[in-house]
Amino acid sequence: MTGAAEERRRSFESEALPHLDSVYRVALRLAGDEARADDLTQETMLRAYRSWHQYTSGSNVRAWLLTILRHTFINEYRKSKRAGPTVDIDEIESFSVFDDVQDVDPEGTFFKQIVDEEVIRAIDSLPDEFRETLVLSDVERLSYAEIADVTGVPVGTVKSRLFRARQVLQRMLYDYAVEMGYIQGVEQ
Amino acid sequence: MKAPDSIDCRAAAEQLYAYLDGELTPDVEAAVRAHLEDCAPCFRLYGFEESFVAFLRARTQARQAPEHLKKRIFEQVLFGRGAADPE
Repeated sequence: MTGAAEERRRSFESEALPHLDSVYRVALRLAGDEARADDLTQETMLRAYRSWHQYTSGSNVRAWLLTILRHTFINEYRKSKRAGPTVDIDEIESFSVFDDVQDVDPEGTFFKQIVDEEVIRAIDSLPDEFRETLVLSDVERLSYAEIADVTGVPVGTVKSRLFRARQVLQRMLYDYAVEMGYIQGVEQ
Repeated sequence: MKAPDSIDCRAAAEQLYAYLDGELTPDVEAAVRAHLEDCAPCFRLYGFEESFVAFLRARTQARQAPEHLKKRIFEQVLFGRGAADPE
């Protein structure tokens, strides 16, 4: 291996690899299952390594990796069908669940009874653009500006997608909690 | 958006998550905070939503890339076909 190649490997290892968990977590929610997430993560890191000379040292490496991840997903993975249904978010009410629960559980303690798997299942049923925005915000804690950068849309769009994604998710989890008897539903 | 001196419940509800995420400009944030101090229903709504976001975040944090994947990336990306010089 040449000195330049060795240097490239060393800098990629110290700057990019620490973000592997982030890339994997987002890949998992985009791809929908572990095997596809493994492949998507590996392909992302491979592309990033090949393009490493284009990355400006010291800039936001995590956002750069997540941008590559997103492009890889759109180009190669989105075509193949994900497991599980996608919810039609236009069918879901857009006001806070708080309106329904304020008299019986104003602090929303019923959410705590919902198992992790059900939360993940609900996230996975969001349409792509809402799911990726929510995951970048609530799983990876990116700022609105960083999410706008990664997803290539204006900050205002990030703000409205995140708002809608959280409200839809909240409504789905509330409906599930009612179904499971964790909280009594409101007569419509 | 234009910074209002005071905002109503509808405007406060629209800024809900941006406020909780710390994404508002200082003047809009101050207007929301002032509204919450005066409006008990909005204050309770914000409290509920803050708990919901905290719940969501707590339930989605734990995952790490599996060891077999880390190994695969190390071997195949850093020392495999990806290790070739860029085209």
